[in-house]
Amino acid sequence: MLSRRSFLLANAAIPFLRMKAFAATSGSLVFGLSSHPPNLDPWRHTGTAAGAVKQLIFRGLTSFGPDGQLRGELAETWERSGDSGWVFHLRDAVFHNGAPVTAEDVKWTLEQIAAEKSTAYLKAEIQSVQEIRTPDRRTVHLVMKEPTVTVPMWFANFNMPIIARGTTEGGSTPVGAGPFVLKGQERGVAIDLEAFDRFFKPGLPKVKSIRFVAYADENLRVAALQAGDVDIIDYVPWQAMDAIERDSKLKLLTTNGPFMGLIFNGRTGPFTDPRVRQAVGFAIRRDEIVKAAFFGRGAPLEGIPLTPGTPFFDEARSHHWRYDPDRAKKLLAEAGMSNGFQCTLLSTAQYGMHKQTAEIVQQHLAEIGIQAKLNLPDWATRLTLGGRGQYDFAVVGDSALTPDPDGIAFLLDAELPESISRSYGMSTPKLHELFVQGRSTFEHEKRREIYAQMEQEALEQAPFVGLAWRSQGYAMKKSVEGFHNLPGSLSFASGITLEETSIA
Amino acid sequence: MIWIAKRIAVALVLVWIVTTIVFLAIQMVPGDPAEMLLSQGGVAPDPAIVEELRAQLGLDRPVLEQYRDSMWSLLHGDLGVSLIDGNPVGGLIAQRLPRTLELIGAAALLALLIGLPTGLIAAIRRGETFDRVASVVAGMALAIPVFVVGTLLVLVFAQILHLVPAGGYVPFAQSPGQHLLLLSMPAMTIALGLGAMVFRMTRASVLDVSMRDYIRTARAKGLAPARILLHHVLRNALMPVVTVVALQLGTLLGGTVLVEYVFNYPGLSGLLVDAVNSRDYTIVQGVVLVISILFVGLNLLVDLLYAVIDPRVRHA
Repeated sequence: MLSRRSFLLANAAIPFLRMKAFAATSGSLVFGLSSHPPNLDPWRHTGTAAGAVKQLIFRGLTSFGPDGQLRGELAETWERSGDSGWVFHLRDAVFHNGAPVTAEDVKWTLEQIAAEKSTAYLKAEIQSVQEIRTPDRRTVHLVMKEPTVTVPMWFANFNMPIIARGTTEGGSTPVGAGPFVLKGQERGVAIDLEAFDRFFKPGLPKVKSIRFVAYADENLRVAALQAGDVDIIDYVPWQAMDAIERDSKLKLLTTNGPFMGLIFNGRTGPFTDPRVRQAVGFAIRRDEIVKAAFFGRGAPLEGIPLTPGTPFFDEARSHHWRYDPDRAKKLLAEAGMSNGFQCTLLSTAQYGMHKQTAEIVQQHLAEIGIQAKLNLPDWATRLTLGGRGQYDFAVVGDSALTPDPDGIAFLLDAELPESISRSYGMSTPKLHELFVQGRSTFEHEKRREIYAQMEQEALEQAPFVGLAWRSQGYAMKKSVEGFHNLPGSLSFASGITLEETSIA
Repeated sequence: MIWIAKRIAVALVLVWIVTTIVFLAIQMVPGDPAEMLLSQGGVAPDPAIVEELRAQLGLDRPVLEQYRDSMWSLLHGDLGVSLIDGNPVGGLIAQRLPRTLELIGAAALLALLIGLPTGLIAAIRRGETFDRVASVVAGMALAIPVFVVGTLLVLVFAQILHLVPAGGYVPFAQSPGQHLLLLSMPAMTIALGLGAMVFRMTRASVLDVSMRDYIRTARAKGLAPARILLHHVLRNALMPVVTVVALQLGTLLGGTVLVEYVFNYPGLSGLLVDAVNSRDYTIVQGVVLVISILFVGLNLLVDLLYAVIDPRVRHA
């Protein structure tokens, strides 16, 4: 039988067990990830959690730094060559297998990505490379089919690392040149990385090892940080941000980058008329979405998601869809729908922010006579229905691919193949043409003019109606130094700064 | 022997039916593994790339062909590989199943240690303070959902008192102390409700048996109260308790998902739910097959246990 004494002794032992359990090894970091990466395929997009890990074991030609500016990685410098060429000069770096990073590795990587059976995220982009020349082992010359200003930015994407030639063949583990080496992983549990001692940046990485532990439950992720089980977490839930800021042992880094919005079925239903889409844009009180779905952590998005502070941002146009119910009703009347109509709003019940956003949109549209019936399946079903265009309009949550306006082409250019991220079955030839022009124009002022026209056209055609910027946060112990939340849409690529992160 | 053979044959047919239903159900549910994999984080994949991946995963073949191949592989003991990460399903299950069994086992042990003696005492002292208090506590324990209990435990013991980690798993070989610490909270969470159920069943069953004629006869014969309780009351009263516990354990094989989620415990239920969410068909199929076999096997074991506890069953 358990005596009082043995019970007390057992309890007294717990702190010692705990000390053994939690004592952090000097120079190691534990990262609480929002989800376990499905896999670490270097070129497929398998999520932002995977991206954080991939940036550490692989490395691309370029990356975005803490200031949001493009910087060299395996490429030391790059420049244009003629009208449609780009030349990248490689630095002295080695892969994890000890082989030097050469122009032939870059060429082989690009060939794998562009291959017919490739499932790489940037396949279409790399297929626009007409020729890859390797004049010497440290120089790569890309000849594009069309002049393309955004090429150096492609190589900063975490789905675009350079892999050692031939190492993916036969299902082998791809070999990268990142600051950490993959030591082990267990599906759904953890991934262990160890510092690569021949990383090309002197003095980096700063910690000897990183353990990524997946915490799918956002509350447990926060609890793990507060309990000291982990040193840093991603995807800080908005409801926990206040508590983390008040905690003297923790710090919170946030940026408004990802956003919520609405896309429409342009093939059938009431939203084929752009005036009706515009009416939706004017009928929503966005501050209520920010308050309800994001606990005030975000900002209204009253235009298209061009990041404030960038040279292409225009203050007046960014408030185009400021709440104006009279204008919304007038637009509905002009479209012959003054009595309103019934429609289906597709979202998902699996993620609170999607569900709450849909509920508020439903309420506000009811005020101008649009009766939206919510369809809130699980995420997998939501994707399938979205891909098939089985909705009248739908809530989307996304982020620009780059800080450049071309980074939102995937969202607005409905001439691209049908996709879950943009309006279904819609025709936007003028927008498409403006994106093509912007992509092939190198002169900055000219690009500004083109994107100003693009923004105006997007507001008139409304293939996407912005709702809210959402705050994207990382939280960590105060003893963690060197980690940066990259600004705006780059937030999901912040994992790259783990190479500079240390823990006291 | 014929009785056992019949039971096993029925069990095998049941497993096949369950596996077929699950295969068809997951094919009918909207959602596609290739699309899910390439849409992580809400990013829209190029439809042509989704189609290419579907072809690579063999998902573009007719459903009947997929079913035939799947059943053929299962018959040969090959559970296939995950569509998402290419890992062998058998290996994943072999890794997760022992953890869930350990969790359920620990929870059942705790539940029996709490439920059986308290139930017995409550029955003996029917209507007294102990019985009343224990009954109220058991009612509360049954009423509180496991995720509430789990979250409260995390809040108190991990976040406020910093006595245990908030969640996770460490292999026993790596650190026995930490392993047991991490097991303790999820096991207690399950044990609370299960223990309450055992308490109520034991109490009710002991009371029921105590009023039977043969107990009265035993008392009239002058048998010692302890002997009556242990040899006559408890032995007969335990049958429904064993049934309930066994059924609960079977249910828990795939039903610890909330507890695993709250404590980040990497067990079989979590694997199944992740697989359903990502439409990883092969894992869903493999896990359901294993759970079905275990569930059916457990029921078979209960039937055999009946025969041990009550010899009349053998001759029925």
